[in-house]
Amino acid sequence: MKSLPDKNILLFRSCLVSVEYPGVESSTKFVFDKLGIDYAISEKQTCCTGLGHYSDVFNQIDTSAIGARNFKIAKNLNRPNLVMMCATCYAINKKSVKLLNKKDDLRDHINQLFDENGLSHLKYEKDDLNPTENIFHVVDILYGKKDEIKKHIKYDLSEYKIATHHGCHYCKVHYEDTIAGFRDPNILDELVEACGCESIGWYDHKRATCGTGFRQRYSNPDLSFTATADKMNALGDEDVEILIHLCPNCHIQFDRYQHLISEREGRTFKAIHLNIAQFIALAMGGDFDKVIGVKAHTVPIDSVIKDLKEVDK
Amino acid sequence: MTSKQNLDDSPIDFAERIIGDVKNSKDEGVLKCVQCGMCTSTCPAARHSDYNPREIIERVLEGDTSILEDDLIWNCFYCYTCHSVCPVGNSVCEVNQILKQIAISNEIGYDKLYEYMGFADSYFTAAIGAIPEIFFEDIGRDVPGWWDFRNNLVDIREELELDPPLMPPKDVIDEVSLILTITGFKEKIEKIRASQEVEK
Repeated sequence: MKSLPDKNILLFRSCLVSVEYPGVESSTKFVFDKLGIDYAISEKQTCCTGLGHYSDVFNQIDTSAIGARNFKIAKNLNRPNLVMMCATCYAINKKSVKLLNKKDDLRDHINQLFDENGLSHLKYEKDDLNPTENIFHVVDILYGKKDEIKKHIKYDLSEYKIATHHGCHYCKVHYEDTIAGFRDPNILDELVEACGCESIGWYDHKRATCGTGFRQRYSNPDLSFTATADKMNALGDEDVEILIHLCPNCHIQFDRYQHLISEREGRTFKAIHLNIAQFIALAMGGDFDKVIGVKAHTVPIDSVIKDLKEVDK
Repeated sequence: MTSKQNLDDSPIDFAERIIGDVKNSKDEGVLKCVQCGMCTSTCPAARHSDYNPREIIERVLEGDTSILEDDLIWNCFYCYTCHSVCPVGNSVCEVNQILKQIAISNEIGYDKLYEYMGFADSYFTAAIGAIPEIFFEDIGRDVPGWWDFRNNLVDIREELELDPPLMPPKDVIDEVSLILTITGFKEKIEKIRASQEVEK
Protein backbone atom coordinates (compact mmCIF):
# COMPACT_ATOMS: atom_id res chain seq x y z
CA MET A 1 0.00 0.00 0.00
CA LYS A 2 1.08 3.59 -0.60
CA SER A 3 2.66 5.38 2.34
CA LEU A 4 0.22 7.61 4.20
CA PRO A 5 1.53 10.93 5.55
CA ASP A 6 0.58 12.49 8.88
CA LYS A 7 2.46 15.74 8.40
CA ASN A 8 3.15 18.48 5.84
CA ILE A 9 -0.52 18.34 4.90
CA LEU A 10 -2.50 21.06 3.15
CA LEU A 11 -6.13 20.35 3.99
CA PHE A 12 -7.78 21.30 0.69
CA ARG A 13 -10.98 23.26 1.16
CA SER A 14 -14.03 22.20 -0.83
CA CYS A 15 -16.74 24.55 -2.08
CA LEU A 16 -19.50 22.01 -1.47
CA VAL A 17 -18.28 21.30 2.05
CA SER A 18 -18.02 25.05 2.71
CA VAL A 19 -21.54 25.95 1.65
CA GLU A 20 -23.50 22.73 2.16
CA TYR A 21 -21.96 20.72 5.01
CA PRO A 22 -19.41 22.95 6.78
CA GLY A 23 -19.49 20.45 9.66
CA VAL A 24 -17.42 18.12 7.51
CA GLU A 25 -14.55 20.63 7.66
CA SER A 26 -14.87 21.25 11.42
CA SER A 27 -15.17 17.49 12.07
CA THR A 28 -12.11 16.74 9.96
CA LYS A 29 -10.12 19.34 11.91
CA PHE A 30 -11.43 17.97 15.23
CA VAL A 31 -10.42 14.40 14.35
CA PHE A 32 -7.05 15.43 12.84
CA ASP A 33 -6.28 17.39 16.04
CA LYS A 34 -7.12 14.37 18.22
CA LEU A 35 -4.86 12.20 16.06
CA GLY A 36 -1.97 14.66 16.11
CA ILE A 37 -1.95 15.15 12.35
CA ASP A 38 0.04 18.17 11.15
CA TYR A 39 -2.08 20.16 8.68
CA ALA A 40 -2.92 23.70 7.63
CA ILE A 41 -5.59 25.37 5.53
CA SER A 42 -4.65 28.18 3.15
CA GLU A 43 -6.86 31.13 2.24
CA LYS A 44 -4.96 31.28 -1.05
CA GLN A 45 -6.15 27.87 -2.24
CA THR A 46 -9.19 28.02 -4.50
CA CYS A 47 -11.83 25.62 -5.77
CA CYS A 48 -10.63 22.72 -7.94
CA THR A 49 -13.21 23.65 -10.67
CA GLY A 50 -14.65 20.13 -10.36
CA LEU A 51 -18.37 20.86 -10.50
CA GLY A 52 -17.89 23.09 -13.53
CA HIS A 53 -15.42 20.63 -15.04
CA TYR A 54 -17.82 17.70 -14.82
CA SER A 55 -20.58 19.92 -16.19
CA ASP A 56 -18.31 20.35 -19.25
CA VAL A 57 -17.89 24.11 -18.68
CA PHE A 58 -14.19 23.99 -17.74
CA ASN A 59 -11.89 22.12 -20.13
CA GLN A 60 -8.75 20.27 -19.07
CA ILE A 61 -6.44 23.23 -19.69
CA ASP A 62 -8.57 25.55 -17.50
CA THR A 63 -8.73 22.96 -14.72
CA SER A 64 -5.05 22.01 -14.83
CA ALA A 65 -3.94 25.67 -14.88
CA ILE A 66 -6.00 26.32 -11.73
CA GLY A 67 -4.56 23.07 -10.35
CA ALA A 68 -0.99 24.17 -11.06
CA ARG A 69 -1.62 27.33 -9.02
CA ASN A 70 -2.98 25.35 -6.07
CA PHE A 71 -0.10 22.86 -6.27
CA LYS A 72 2.40 25.72 -6.15
CA ILE A 73 0.70 27.14 -3.04
CA ALA A 74 1.06 23.75 -1.35
CA LYS A 75 4.74 23.48 -2.34
CA ASN A 76 5.51 27.01 -1.16
CA LEU A 77 3.99 26.27 2.24
CA ASN A 78 6.13 23.14 2.42
CA ARG A 79 2.90 21.19 2.57
CA PRO A 80 3.13 19.09 -0.58
CA ASN A 81 0.58 16.54 0.70
CA LEU A 82 -2.80 17.73 -0.54
CA VAL A 83 -5.63 16.11 1.42
CA MET A 84 -9.13 16.47 0.05
CA MET A 85 -12.47 16.42 1.91
CA CYS A 86 -14.34 16.03 -1.38
CA ALA A 87 -14.04 13.09 -3.77
CA THR A 88 -14.44 15.40 -6.78
CA CYS A 89 -11.47 17.55 -5.68
CA TYR A 90 -9.51 14.33 -5.13
CA ALA A 91 -10.14 12.95 -8.63
CA ILE A 92 -9.69 16.32 -10.34
CA ASN A 93 -6.40 17.17 -8.63
CA LYS A 94 -4.92 13.70 -8.98
CA LYS A 95 -5.67 13.74 -12.70
CA SER A 96 -4.12 17.18 -13.13
CA VAL A 97 -0.91 16.07 -11.40
CA LYS A 98 -0.76 12.96 -13.58
CA LEU A 99 -1.31 14.92 -16.79
CA LEU A 100 1.06 17.77 -15.86
CA ASN A 101 3.81 15.23 -15.17
CA LYS A 102 3.20 13.04 -18.20
CA LYS A 103 2.11 15.44 -20.95
CA ASP A 104 4.94 17.81 -21.81
CA ASP A 105 2.72 19.73 -24.27
CA LEU A 106 0.11 20.51 -21.63
CA ARG A 107 2.69 21.53 -19.02
CA ASP A 108 4.64 23.66 -21.50
CA HIS A 109 1.48 25.34 -22.76
CA ILE A 110 0.29 26.29 -19.26
CA ASN A 111 3.77 27.41 -18.18
CA GLN A 112 4.09 29.55 -21.30
CA LEU A 113 0.75 31.22 -20.55
CA PHE A 114 1.99 31.89 -17.00
CA ASP A 115 5.30 33.29 -18.32
CA GLU A 116 3.64 35.60 -20.81
CA ASN A 117 1.21 37.04 -18.28
CA GLY A 118 3.29 37.81 -15.23
CA LEU A 119 2.46 34.54 -13.46
CA SER A 120 5.86 32.82 -13.71
CA HIS A 121 5.74 32.17 -9.96
CA LEU A 122 3.00 29.60 -10.62
CA LYS A 123 4.88 27.45 -13.14
CA TYR A 124 4.66 23.70 -12.61
CA GLU A 125 7.85 21.69 -13.10
CA LYS A 126 7.65 18.05 -14.12
CA ASP A 127 7.27 15.81 -11.03
CA ASP A 128 6.78 18.76 -8.65
CA LEU A 129 4.17 16.50 -7.09
CA ASN A 130 3.59 12.76 -7.35
CA PRO A 131 -0.03 11.72 -7.92
CA THR A 132 0.23 8.69 -5.62
CA GLU A 133 2.53 10.10 -2.94
CA ASN A 134 1.08 13.61 -2.64
CA ILE A 135 -2.63 13.54 -3.51
CA PHE A 136 -4.94 12.04 -0.88
CA HIS A 137 -8.49 11.97 0.39
CA VAL A 138 -9.12 12.48 4.12
CA VAL A 139 -10.14 8.80 4.32
CA ASP A 140 -6.60 7.77 3.32
CA ILE A 141 -5.10 9.76 6.20
CA LEU A 142 -7.67 8.40 8.65
CA TYR A 143 -6.95 4.88 7.43
CA GLY A 144 -3.28 5.37 8.27
CA LYS A 145 -4.38 6.17 11.86
CA LYS A 146 -6.97 3.42 12.29
CA ASP A 147 -5.37 2.03 15.44
CA GLU A 148 -4.96 5.51 16.92
CA ILE A 149 -8.66 6.30 16.27
CA LYS A 150 -9.65 3.35 18.49
CA LYS A 151 -7.94 4.98 21.49
CA HIS A 152 -10.08 8.14 21.28
CA ILE A 153 -13.57 6.66 21.04
CA LYS A 154 -15.89 8.10 23.71
CA TYR A 155 -19.37 7.06 22.56
CA ASP A 156 -20.70 3.64 21.61
CA LEU A 157 -22.59 3.85 18.29
CA SER A 158 -22.62 0.09 17.71
CA GLU A 159 -26.36 -0.33 18.26
CA TYR A 160 -27.20 1.48 15.00
CA LYS A 161 -27.59 -0.19 11.61
CA ILE A 162 -24.76 1.40 9.63
CA ALA A 163 -24.00 1.15 5.91
CA THR A 164 -21.37 2.88 3.81
CA HIS A 165 -21.60 4.69 0.48
CA HIS A 166 -18.23 5.05 -1.22
CA GLY A 167 -19.48 6.75 -4.36
CA CYS A 168 -17.34 7.12 -7.44
CA HIS A 169 -14.59 9.71 -7.54
CA TYR A 170 -12.52 8.35 -4.69
CA CYS A 171 -12.87 4.67 -5.62
CA LYS A 172 -13.30 4.38 -9.36
CA VAL A 173 -11.31 7.11 -11.11
CA HIS A 174 -7.77 6.48 -9.87
CA TYR A 175 -8.48 2.94 -8.72
CA GLU A 176 -4.79 2.01 -8.60
CA ASP A 177 -4.50 4.27 -5.54
CA THR A 178 -7.76 3.28 -3.82
CA ILE A 179 -7.27 1.68 -0.40
CA ALA A 180 -9.35 -1.35 0.71
CA GLY A 181 -10.96 -2.15 -2.63
CA PHE A 182 -12.72 -0.43 -5.52
CA ARG A 183 -14.88 -3.29 -6.88
CA ASP A 184 -15.85 -4.23 -3.33
CA PRO A 185 -15.06 -0.93 -1.58
CA ASN A 186 -14.44 -1.21 2.14
CA ILE A 187 -12.33 1.69 3.37
CA LEU A 188 -15.33 3.32 5.08
CA ASP A 189 -16.42 -0.02 6.59
CA GLU A 190 -12.96 -0.44 8.08
CA LEU A 191 -13.04 3.09 9.53
CA VAL A 192 -16.50 2.45 11.02
CA GLU A 193 -15.00 -0.68 12.57
CA ALA A 194 -12.21 1.42 14.10
CA CYS A 195 -14.97 3.26 16.00
CA GLY A 196 -16.09 -0.01 17.59
CA CYS A 197 -19.03 -0.52 15.21
CA GLU A 198 -19.86 -3.05 12.57
CA SER A 199 -21.31 -1.98 9.22
CA ILE A 200 -23.73 -4.17 7.27
CA GLY A 201 -20.96 -4.71 4.69
CA TRP A 202 -22.07 -5.50 1.14
CA TYR A 203 -25.59 -4.60 -0.01
CA ASP A 204 -27.24 -4.42 -3.40
CA HIS A 205 -25.86 -1.45 -5.41
CA LYS A 206 -23.14 -0.83 -2.79
CA ARG A 207 -20.64 0.42 -5.36
CA ALA A 208 -23.19 2.32 -7.44
CA THR A 209 -23.27 6.08 -7.98
CA CYS A 210 -25.38 8.28 -5.71
CA GLY A 211 -27.16 9.38 -8.88
CA THR A 212 -26.08 13.02 -8.83
CA GLY A 213 -24.30 12.67 -12.15
CA PHE A 214 -23.33 16.35 -11.98
CA ARG A 215 -25.53 17.90 -14.71
CA GLN A 216 -28.04 15.02 -14.46
CA ARG A 217 -29.47 16.22 -11.14
CA TYR A 218 -30.40 19.62 -12.55
CA SER A 219 -30.89 19.04 -16.28
CA ASN A 220 -32.17 15.47 -16.16
CA PRO A 221 -33.70 15.08 -12.68
CA ASP A 222 -35.80 12.02 -13.49
CA LEU A 223 -32.75 10.09 -14.64
CA SER A 224 -30.78 11.27 -11.62
CA PHE A 225 -33.39 10.49 -8.98
CA THR A 226 -34.24 7.12 -10.54
CA ALA A 227 -30.60 6.08 -10.13
CA THR A 228 -30.62 7.37 -6.53
CA ALA A 229 -33.80 5.41 -5.83
CA ASP A 230 -32.05 2.16 -6.82
CA LYS A 231 -29.66 2.67 -3.99
CA MET A 232 -32.08 4.19 -1.49
CA ASN A 233 -34.44 1.22 -1.95
CA ALA A 234 -31.55 -1.20 -1.34
CA LEU A 235 -30.64 0.69 1.86
CA GLY A 236 -34.29 0.78 2.90
CA ASP A 237 -34.54 -2.99 2.44
CA GLU A 238 -31.66 -3.34 4.90
CA ASP A 239 -33.30 -0.95 7.43
CA VAL A 240 -30.20 1.24 7.43
CA GLU A 241 -30.22 4.00 10.06
CA ILE A 242 -26.89 5.71 9.35
CA LEU A 243 -25.31 5.99 5.90
CA ILE A 244 -21.65 6.97 5.93
CA HIS A 245 -20.34 9.19 3.13
CA LEU A 246 -16.98 10.48 1.90
CA CYS A 247 -18.18 12.93 -0.75
CA PRO A 248 -20.26 16.08 -0.22
CA ASN A 249 -21.95 15.69 -3.61
CA CYS A 250 -23.29 12.23 -2.64
CA HIS A 251 -24.14 13.65 0.78
CA ILE A 252 -26.37 16.30 -0.84
CA GLN A 253 -28.04 13.77 -3.11
CA PHE A 254 -29.04 11.51 -0.21
CA ASP A 255 -29.63 13.95 2.64
CA ARG A 256 -31.28 16.80 0.73
CA TYR A 257 -33.40 14.63 -1.58
CA GLN A 258 -34.35 11.71 0.69
CA HIS A 259 -37.75 13.28 1.30
CA LEU A 260 -38.41 13.75 -2.44
CA ILE A 261 -37.34 10.20 -3.27
CA SER A 262 -39.48 8.84 -0.43
CA GLU A 263 -42.47 10.51 -2.08
CA ARG A 264 -41.52 9.22 -5.54
CA GLU A 265 -41.07 5.67 -4.28
CA GLY A 266 -44.02 5.72 -1.90
CA ARG A 267 -42.05 4.48 1.09
CA THR A 268 -40.33 6.06 4.07
CA PHE A 269 -36.55 6.16 4.23
CA LYS A 270 -35.23 6.87 7.69
CA ALA A 271 -31.43 6.96 7.30
CA ILE A 272 -29.43 9.94 8.48
CA HIS A 273 -26.35 10.91 6.49
CA LEU A 274 -22.94 11.55 8.00
CA ASN A 275 -19.55 12.05 6.44
CA ILE A 276 -16.99 9.60 7.89
CA ALA A 277 -15.17 12.53 9.57
CA GLN A 278 -18.45 13.59 11.23
CA PHE A 279 -19.11 10.00 12.33
CA ILE A 280 -15.66 9.62 13.87
CA ALA A 281 -15.85 13.10 15.45
CA LEU A 282 -19.21 12.16 16.96
CA ALA A 283 -17.80 8.90 18.32
CA MET A 284 -14.89 10.89 19.77
CA GLY A 285 -17.25 13.24 21.62
CA GLY A 286 -17.54 16.17 19.19
CA ASP A 287 -20.38 18.60 19.94
CA PHE A 288 -23.43 18.36 17.63
CA ASP A 289 -23.54 22.09 16.89
CA LYS A 290 -19.94 23.22 17.41
CA VAL A 291 -18.18 20.33 15.64
CA ILE A 292 -20.55 18.07 13.69
CA GLY A 293 -22.59 20.95 12.27
CA VAL A 294 -25.91 19.12 12.40
CA LYS A 295 -27.91 22.28 11.62
CA ALA A 296 -26.78 22.01 8.00
CA HIS A 297 -28.45 18.62 7.59
CA THR A 298 -31.87 18.16 6.03
CA VAL A 299 -32.63 14.76 7.62
CA PRO A 300 -32.30 15.63 11.33
CA ILE A 301 -29.46 13.76 13.01
CA ASP A 302 -31.52 13.43 16.19
CA SER A 303 -34.22 11.55 14.28
CA VAL A 304 -31.92 8.53 14.70
CA ILE A 305 -29.29 9.43 17.32
CA LYS A 306 -31.39 10.47 20.31
CA ASP A 307 -28.89 10.00 23.08
CA LEU A 308 -25.29 8.95 23.39
CA LYS A 309 -23.97 6.13 25.52
CA GLU A 310 -20.35 6.19 26.66
CA VAL A 311 -18.22 3.17 25.83
CA ASP A 312 -17.30 0.77 28.60
CA LYS A 313 -13.66 1.41 29.39
CA MET B 1 -31.73 4.55 -37.70
CA THR B 2 -28.90 6.95 -36.99
CA SER B 3 -27.70 8.93 -39.98
CA LYS B 4 -24.06 8.12 -40.46
CA GLN B 5 -21.34 10.45 -41.56
CA ASN B 6 -18.47 8.04 -41.30
CA LEU B 7 -14.98 9.15 -42.05
CA ASP B 8 -14.88 6.59 -44.86
CA ASP B 9 -11.33 7.15 -46.01
CA SER B 10 -9.78 6.62 -42.65
CA PRO B 11 -12.30 5.91 -39.86
CA ILE B 12 -9.49 5.43 -37.35
CA ASP B 13 -8.78 9.19 -37.49
CA PHE B 14 -11.67 9.84 -35.09
CA ALA B 15 -10.25 7.43 -32.49
CA GLU B 16 -6.76 8.87 -33.06
CA ARG B 17 -8.08 12.36 -32.33
CA ILE B 18 -9.47 11.11 -29.02
CA ILE B 19 -6.21 9.34 -28.20
CA GLY B 20 -4.32 12.58 -28.85
CA ASP B 21 -6.64 14.69 -26.68
CA VAL B 22 -5.08 16.34 -23.65
CA LYS B 23 -7.71 14.75 -21.39
CA ASN B 24 -6.99 11.18 -22.49
CA SER B 25 -5.22 9.25 -19.73
CA LYS B 26 -5.72 5.77 -21.19
CA ASP B 27 -3.13 5.84 -24.00
CA GLU B 28 -4.56 3.71 -26.84
CA GLY B 29 -7.26 2.13 -24.65
CA VAL B 30 -10.03 3.04 -27.06
CA LEU B 31 -8.41 0.91 -29.79
CA LYS B 32 -8.33 -2.09 -27.46
CA CYS B 33 -12.09 -2.20 -26.97
CA VAL B 34 -13.42 -5.73 -27.60
CA GLN B 35 -17.07 -4.65 -27.39
CA CYS B 36 -17.68 -6.95 -24.42
CA GLY B 37 -20.33 -4.63 -22.97
CA MET B 38 -19.10 -4.61 -19.35
CA CYS B 39 -19.45 -0.83 -19.50
CA THR B 40 -23.08 -0.94 -20.57
CA SER B 41 -24.01 -3.66 -18.09
CA THR B 42 -22.78 -1.56 -15.13
CA CYS B 43 -23.79 1.91 -16.38
CA PRO B 44 -26.51 3.80 -14.45
CA ALA B 45 -27.44 5.86 -17.52
CA ALA B 46 -27.78 2.69 -19.63
CA ARG B 47 -29.93 1.14 -16.90
CA HIS B 48 -32.39 4.02 -17.00
CA SER B 49 -32.13 5.56 -20.49
CA ASP B 50 -31.08 4.74 -24.07
CA TYR B 51 -27.48 5.76 -23.37
CA ASN B 52 -25.13 2.93 -24.39
CA PRO B 53 -21.41 3.24 -23.62
CA ARG B 54 -20.45 0.16 -25.63
CA GLU B 55 -22.11 1.66 -28.67
CA ILE B 56 -20.28 4.94 -28.14
CA ILE B 57 -16.95 3.19 -28.62
CA GLU B 58 -18.32 1.21 -31.59
CA ARG B 59 -19.34 4.46 -33.27
CA VAL B 60 -16.02 6.12 -32.47
CA LEU B 61 -14.14 3.19 -33.99
CA GLU B 62 -16.35 3.39 -37.09
CA GLY B 63 -15.48 7.07 -37.43
CA ASP B 64 -19.12 8.04 -36.94
CA THR B 65 -18.73 11.73 -36.07
CA SER B 66 -22.51 12.24 -35.94
CA ILE B 67 -22.17 11.08 -32.33
CA LEU B 68 -20.98 14.61 -31.47
CA GLU B 69 -24.51 15.85 -32.14
CA ASP B 70 -26.28 12.96 -30.44
CA ASP B 71 -28.15 14.25 -27.37
CA LEU B 72 -27.69 10.90 -25.64
CA ILE B 73 -24.00 11.54 -24.94
CA TRP B 74 -25.17 14.16 -22.42
CA ASN B 75 -26.72 11.41 -20.24
CA CYS B 76 -23.39 10.15 -18.86
CA PHE B 77 -23.18 10.50 -15.05
CA TYR B 78 -19.36 10.74 -15.08
CA CYS B 79 -19.45 8.06 -12.37
CA TYR B 80 -16.45 6.22 -13.90
CA THR B 81 -18.06 2.84 -13.26
CA CYS B 82 -17.28 1.78 -16.85
CA HIS B 83 -13.75 3.11 -16.44
CA SER B 84 -13.25 1.02 -13.28
CA VAL B 85 -14.42 -2.30 -14.76
CA CYS B 86 -13.11 -2.20 -18.34
CA PRO B 87 -11.06 -5.37 -18.90
CA VAL B 88 -8.79 -3.75 -21.51
CA GLY B 89 -8.17 -0.46 -19.71
CA ASN B 90 -10.37 1.76 -21.84
CA SER B 91 -12.56 4.50 -20.34
CA VAL B 92 -15.84 5.34 -22.05
CA CYS B 93 -16.42 7.95 -19.35
CA GLU B 94 -13.26 9.76 -20.41
CA VAL B 95 -14.01 9.28 -24.13
CA ASN B 96 -17.44 10.77 -23.48
CA GLN B 97 -15.90 13.86 -21.85
CA ILE B 98 -13.54 14.23 -24.80
CA LEU B 99 -16.41 13.90 -27.29
CA LYS B 100 -18.23 16.69 -25.50
CA GLN B 101 -15.17 18.94 -25.54
CA ILE B 102 -14.76 18.29 -29.29
CA ALA B 103 -18.46 19.07 -29.74
CA ILE B 104 -18.13 22.31 -27.74
CA SER B 105 -15.07 23.35 -29.76
CA ASN B 106 -17.32 22.93 -32.83
CA GLU B 107 -19.98 25.11 -31.15
CA ILE B 108 -22.24 22.12 -30.52
CA GLY B 109 -24.04 21.81 -27.17
CA TYR B 110 -23.90 25.47 -26.14
CA ASP B 111 -27.55 25.16 -25.07
CA LYS B 112 -26.51 22.35 -22.72
CA LEU B 113 -23.83 24.53 -21.13
CA TYR B 114 -25.86 27.69 -20.80
CA GLU B 115 -27.58 26.72 -17.53
CA TYR B 116 -24.18 26.07 -16.00
CA MET B 117 -22.68 29.50 -16.69
CA GLY B 118 -23.09 30.16 -12.96
CA PHE B 119 -20.04 27.96 -12.35
CA ALA B 120 -17.99 30.38 -14.42
CA ASP B 121 -19.51 33.51 -12.86
CA SER B 122 -18.89 32.36 -9.29
CA TYR B 123 -15.29 31.59 -10.17
CA PHE B 124 -14.69 35.15 -11.38
CA THR B 125 -16.47 36.74 -8.40
CA ALA B 126 -15.46 34.41 -5.54
CA ALA B 127 -13.03 31.77 -6.91
CA ILE B 128 -15.55 29.14 -5.89
CA GLY B 129 -17.57 26.70 -7.95
CA ALA B 130 -20.82 26.75 -6.01
CA ILE B 131 -24.15 25.49 -7.37
CA PRO B 132 -25.45 28.06 -9.90
CA GLU B 133 -28.22 30.29 -8.55
CA ILE B 134 -30.37 29.46 -11.56
CA PHE B 135 -31.12 26.13 -9.82
CA PHE B 136 -31.99 27.60 -6.41
CA GLU B 137 -35.72 27.74 -7.17
CA ASP B 138 -35.77 24.01 -7.99
CA ILE B 139 -33.75 23.19 -4.89
CA GLY B 140 -36.03 25.33 -2.70
CA ARG B 141 -39.04 23.45 -4.11
CA ASP B 142 -37.52 19.97 -3.73
CA VAL B 143 -35.64 20.26 -0.44
CA PRO B 144 -37.62 21.00 2.72
CA GLY B 145 -36.07 23.81 4.76
CA TRP B 146 -33.34 24.58 2.23
CA TRP B 147 -33.92 28.35 2.09
CA ASP B 148 -33.86 28.57 5.88
CA PHE B 149 -30.60 26.65 5.89
CA ARG B 150 -29.06 28.94 3.26
CA ASN B 151 -30.14 32.01 5.20
CA ASN B 152 -28.53 30.59 8.34
CA LEU B 153 -25.32 29.41 6.67
CA VAL B 154 -23.21 32.29 8.01
CA ASP B 155 -24.38 31.62 11.59
CA ILE B 156 -23.84 27.87 11.22
CA ARG B 157 -20.30 28.45 9.95
CA GLU B 158 -19.64 30.92 12.78
CA GLU B 159 -20.71 28.39 15.40
CA LEU B 160 -18.23 25.92 13.85
CA GLU B 161 -15.47 28.55 14.13
CA LEU B 162 -14.25 27.89 10.61
CA ASP B 163 -11.17 29.81 9.62
CA PRO B 164 -10.14 31.13 7.12
CA PRO B 165 -13.49 32.56 5.96
CA LEU B 166 -15.33 31.36 2.89
CA MET B 167 -14.38 34.28 0.65
CA PRO B 168 -10.75 34.36 -0.51
CA PRO B 169 -8.86 37.69 -0.56
CA LYS B 170 -9.22 39.96 -3.61
CA ASP B 171 -5.70 39.32 -4.91
CA VAL B 172 -6.49 35.60 -5.04
CA ILE B 173 -9.71 36.17 -6.99
CA ASP B 174 -7.83 38.50 -9.36
CA GLU B 175 -5.12 35.90 -9.95
CA VAL B 176 -7.50 33.06 -10.79
CA SER B 177 -9.59 35.40 -12.94
CA LEU B 178 -6.45 36.21 -14.91
CA ILE B 179 -5.65 32.50 -15.29
CA LEU B 180 -9.13 31.81 -16.63
CA THR B 181 -8.78 34.70 -19.05
CA ILE B 182 -5.44 33.61 -20.53
CA THR B 183 -6.54 29.99 -20.98
CA GLY B 184 -9.34 31.24 -23.23
CA PHE B 185 -12.03 30.23 -20.73
CA LYS B 186 -13.51 33.71 -20.35
CA GLU B 187 -13.81 34.22 -24.10
CA LYS B 188 -15.51 30.84 -24.49
CA ILE B 189 -18.02 31.66 -21.74
CA GLU B 190 -18.85 35.00 -23.33
CA LYS B 191 -19.34 33.29 -26.70
CA ILE B 192 -21.67 30.64 -25.23
CA ARG B 193 -23.66 33.25 -23.37
CA ALA B 194 -23.95 35.54 -26.42
CA SER B 195 -25.09 32.68 -28.66
CA GLN B 196 -27.88 31.66 -26.29
CA GLU B 197 -29.02 35.16 -25.46
CA VAL B 198 -29.31 36.06 -29.15
CA GLU B 199 -31.46 32.97 -29.73
CA LYS B 200 -33.79 34.08 -26.96
